[in-house]
Amino acid sequence: MASKPYRLAQGGSLIDRSRKVTFSFDGKDVSGFAGDTLASAVLASGQKIFGRSFKYHRPRGLVGLGSEEMNALIGVGQGNKHEPNLRATQIEIFDGLSAESQNRWPSLKYDIGAINSKFSRFLPGGFYYKTFMWPRSFWKHVYEPFIRKAAGLGKAPEGRDTDTYEHMHIHADVIVVGAGIAGLAAAEAAALAGAKVLLCDENPVLGGIADLTAGMIDGECVEDYAKALAARLSAMPNVHVLSRTTVVGHFHQNYLMAFERVGDHDPLILASGAPKHRLWKIRAHHVIVATGALERPIAFANNDRPNIMLASAVRGMIGRYGVTPGNTGIVFTNNDDAYLTAFALKKAGINVRVVDSRSRSDGALVKRAIADGIDVSLGSVISAVEGTLEVKAVKIAAYRKGQGRVITERRVECDFIAMSGGWNPALHLWCHNGGKIQFDDGLQSFRPQSHTDAITAIGAANGTMSVADTLVEAQVAGEAAAKSVLKKAKTIKATKFKIEEPIRGALESMWFAPATGLYNEGNKHFIDFQNDVTAADLELAQREGYESIEHTKRYTTFGMATDQGKTSNVNGLGVLSEATGKTIPEIGTTTFRPPYTPYSFGSIAGAHTGALFLPIRQTPIFNWHKSHGATFEPVGQWRRAYTYSQVGEDKHASITREILCVRNKVGMLDASTLGKIEIKGPDAAEFLDRMYTNTFSTLKVGRCRYGLMMNELGFLTDDGVTVRLADDHFLMHTTSGGADRIAAWLEEWLQTEWTHYKVFVTPVTEQWAQFAVAGPKARDVLAKLDPDFDLSSEALPHMSFSQGHIGGYPIRIYRISFSGELSYEVATPANFGQGLWNAIMEAGEEFDLTAYGTEALHVLRAEKGYIVIGDETDGTTTPIDVGMDGMVSKKKPDFIGKRSLEQSFLKGPNRKQLVGLLTEEPNDVLPDGAYAVRVLKDKPPMEMIGQVTSTYMSPTLGRSIAMALIENGRDRMGEVLSFPLEGGKVMKATITGTVFYDKDGARING
Amino acid sequence: MADLHFQSALAHRSMPDNTSISMREISERGMIDLRGLTTDKKFVAAAKAALGVELPKVPRTSTTFGDVQVLWLSTDQWLVLTGRARVTALLADLRKALGTIHSLAVDVSDMRAIIRLEGDGVRETLMKGSTLDLISDDYAPGTVRRMRFAEIAALLHVVEQNMIDIYVFRSYADYAWEFLVKSARRGSEVKLFPNLIKD
Amino acid sequence: MIIVTCPVCNASGDETDFHYGGQAHVRRPATTDAANITDEEQRDYLFIRHNPKGLHFERWRCDRGCGKWFHAARDTVSLDFKAYYGITELPPAEIIAQAKGPWADYFKERMKAKK
Repeated sequence: MASKPYRLAQGGSLIDRSRKVTFSFDGKDVSGFAGDTLASAVLASGQKIFGRSFKYHRPRGLVGLGSEEMNALIGVGQGNKHEPNLRATQIEIFDGLSAESQNRWPSLKYDIGAINSKFSRFLPGGFYYKTFMWPRSFWKHVYEPFIRKAAGLGKAPEGRDTDTYEHMHIHADVIVVGAGIAGLAAAEAAALAGAKVLLCDENPVLGGIADLTAGMIDGECVEDYAKALAARLSAMPNVHVLSRTTVVGHFHQNYLMAFERVGDHDPLILASGAPKHRLWKIRAHHVIVATGALERPIAFANNDRPNIMLASAVRGMIGRYGVTPGNTGIVFTNNDDAYLTAFALKKAGINVRVVDSRSRSDGALVKRAIADGIDVSLGSVISAVEGTLEVKAVKIAAYRKGQGRVITERRVECDFIAMSGGWNPALHLWCHNGGKIQFDDGLQSFRPQSHTDAITAIGAANGTMSVADTLVEAQVAGEAAAKSVLKKAKTIKATKFKIEEPIRGALESMWFAPATGLYNEGNKHFIDFQNDVTAADLELAQREGYESIEHTKRYTTFGMATDQGKTSNVNGLGVLSEATGKTIPEIGTTTFRPPYTPYSFGSIAGAHTGALFLPIRQTPIFNWHKSHGATFEPVGQWRRAYTYSQVGEDKHASITREILCVRNKVGMLDASTLGKIEIKGPDAAEFLDRMYTNTFSTLKVGRCRYGLMMNELGFLTDDGVTVRLADDHFLMHTTSGGADRIAAWLEEWLQTEWTHYKVFVTPVTEQWAQFAVAGPKARDVLAKLDPDFDLSSEALPHMSFSQGHIGGYPIRIYRISFSGELSYEVATPANFGQGLWNAIMEAGEEFDLTAYGTEALHVLRAEKGYIVIGDETDGTTTPIDVGMDGMVSKKKPDFIGKRSLEQSFLKGPNRKQLVGLLTEEPNDVLPDGAYAVRVLKDKPPMEMIGQVTSTYMSPTLGRSIAMALIENGRDRMGEVLSFPLEGGKVMKATITGTVFYDKDGARING
Repeated sequence: MADLHFQSALAHRSMPDNTSISMREISERGMIDLRGLTTDKKFVAAAKAALGVELPKVPRTSTTFGDVQVLWLSTDQWLVLTGRARVTALLADLRKALGTIHSLAVDVSDMRAIIRLEGDGVRETLMKGSTLDLISDDYAPGTVRRMRFAEIAALLHVVEQNMIDIYVFRSYADYAWEFLVKSARRGSEVKLFPNLIKD
Repeated sequence: MIIVTCPVCNASGDETDFHYGGQAHVRRPATTDAANITDEEQRDYLFIRHNPKGLHFERWRCDRGCGKWFHAARDTVSLDFKAYYGITELPPAEIIAQAKGPWADYFKERMKAKK
């Protein structure tokens, strides 16, 4: 049959026959013309199979013309550039494009998975829930591997994607979605009225299906009218046009998401630096949905055979690309519109006949077809399709609506079918944010009814199918939208169009064409092509009691895949309607969810990949750390130096070296991440008394005090040292992770509870670079840098504050310690941070000063039994639990968390309390989080009585140490607990106090 | 002070050569965070006396006098800009003028990094990471706005139609810089409402 | 993604520029009489919240703007904001009039206490 070329000698409004393009499809070179889609070029080459179906692996060809295509899903690109599941009808070809079909092995023509088809009686609707139920032991080794192998469409790309993606925001008064004649006319009206208009369309060329529409507007064909309108719009100053851009979702308050394919169609664009895809985040005051309508397939036996296409798609292939699916076609329809396809075929010299399920139609197109000599069989349906890999012939049976069996039929040879079951308004966007819809008898489909958002549907999306009505509706909607947004919208003069279009005969629903042969034996009526759901599956679900349409959907997977019901929804409802005797409105419809079409993961990630995946906070010393062998530890978004490994040193060795250096000599830690908040005002002291568990109003100027903070539940939430700078002025330190949270917390209480307090709170964390200089030689190091203040223990004792200069750098200095050693925290403005750090390093050289990281810091503090919020506390830990009852004021009448802490259950017995642990074997280090059990048994379950919160090998003590929260821990001193670990190992440890080193705290005052 | 080592947040970054707009760090600017109540006439007068310029009271505006510029941050908070060399003296003047008036003035010159963006398309570049409609009339020169940029907090100051200063907390400077370099990459330009002529 | 407008600085923006602070008008008993709070009162303060379908009263903070807290009346069905008002204020009278259920009771009591 392939004697005639599939590329017609003439025609093809989108292709440029002077520019030949060569690409590869399944490893074979295919040629087409610039402007071709992969679908049109492959079809022109004579190939009809584009893929295999999901469940049965049936050979499948093209069905649609655009984003509604559900069969021809193609993988494009190689390796890390591979992108699966693109629609052949949307892939614009270019030289060097490499594409492959999916869901087949080893080839499209010979596919091993097609054996599923033979077993299809075992894969009915709901087979997921039935087939794999028993025997239970088969699940892991037989069923699951099978399902995993079969699951999913296409393959994932390999390796890191080297293309770039980005997000973009745009605000508009009016967004018009869809640039068919409805959208174009509405956009122009809104723009003329003065609105800022954004017009989005998913196709490369504006105009929608104007080129496939019959009629004349003011003496021009619809296509030319649309072209001129699009050109006018593109030149308007208040209009932004986005083509190749699919609006994929509509959300609350007219927030929309659109997916732009920027560089998919042209490698030169990508090479110029453009992103591959761009995700638009759109805010509009008014939304106009002009998304058109999607043609319905017809459910007839084996309606999925390659070369059975939608009538509009056949028309589009001829008109846009000059490509025909074959030489002899049958148009199978229940409405007038498909007759346009018959005319297009006839004009192109293709043999065509029409099979129309209606017994009569008064439409002008039907009359013209008969007058033109086209063979029109009214009151007929296709009852069988011959051929598996391609259509060879059909049987045509007489049909009366409501009649379920074939009485007479005749065989007619053909090599393609153009079907049309009517049109469904594309309601997806309308429905995403809760738009209501209603059933329209004329369309036999749903159309928009009402919406709570500022949104209007027009044209075919609104169920308005005539050109004349559409243009009027669009103008009115565009102007009204502008007026609803703008205070001073211009009134535009309503255009009087002179429109000629054929009078249409009524459509007659036909949800199921009776078939030759046994019901559902080798002749499946597909409803959801993509998910291989047949009419029989839906009826079965009904018989099995899945009455709700939402249950049927989940049971059969009908309407669930990327198709999201585009082509299948109404047909499925029609089948169920006939099966149950209920009307379609009674059955209801399933929910349309975003996205309208799939969009790439790359576009979702946008620029937020690699170094921009997550914001990373760097201290002023970050680059020094990096160049001195530091590994980093995340603390919130900060990266803190964890340890500095020297050449030939592993982390364990460097941490040990750093710890011993602090204990025996002197070390320096970058503590710039500590939260710092200035608090000032006449009520500042009283305010702090409310915030902390302990008292700050008694703190003397120039002195520091460690404070504990609870939340209102009585649980510890932060800690740190606060300094009194002046009578009404404090500087609060918070944990590194808590800086922003605590600043906001203070503001909240000031603004919402104690509004009469005169207190200002200004976070200044990042103004300062801050270093802890700790160890017996700390004072000696700083003394070398010409301090202009007294460093002596008398002038600057433990927990006091001073300021001045060190090495010429302006500083604030706090004599505070988190290591138990003589320790100063020195703060200088951040831009001097590196300078001061270098100066101290240099001054410390003769004392063997070493930089130490956060791990050494943690071991040092654990040796001293100092807690870390978030290690020793878990959000349900009270100050009493950690043994800090002494820091909870008994005198203050009120502070945050006080009343909750008095609740009986927080004070009562059996709370977990913080204790120290010493393992029986000194070299055993308990794993972090290890559980202590009440009674050790051979195997779990065992009752847990607490867990390890911090655990380290202590170089200072030459053995392991740990802290843990243990039920009634403080009453169990000396008790030996068992910690069962992975692999049956058990560690035993004795409960001790939490201070392991320098118990009388002499060193800190050195 | 001459031999002190000064190192701004982006000192290690050089001007990118593949961006469609120009980008540079402004490190010579000093900043003071000022808190006070506009209902307190004494505070308002004292601030004006010390700064030489009225505090802006209209949200998202700024005022300028000589080398002092005041950006509105909140109803009781301002960011005072001046040359780095003048900050210490200006802060001393301010504190002296404010005396016991309830207020808080802090030198925050090193707390933020400032990136100056200049050229055609600065607004669109920022809109790749911001939900604000920066091409609307709401963002005329002089406008100040705290915002969320990419995934961080930022302060935007429209200096001229095509010149915008972005203030970010110092620790995020590298992140912001890299995000801007990526967003402003040549070839990725987006012109919103391309036919619109802005004066 | 809803749009919020701060009544303090009049900035409008996506909800991600704001911080939701839970139900409005929750009284903290300890602020007025710290010594006499029953466990039940404390429980109600910490945990008991209205969950109405329809008009609700909430706290928000202009997180990426002026940093100020404010109150908002919002419809939990349409998500639309009905009114914004100060963090120390009661809603406008016409909004109070629309309150139902526990909210109506609450405002009745507050108005009585005012008098």
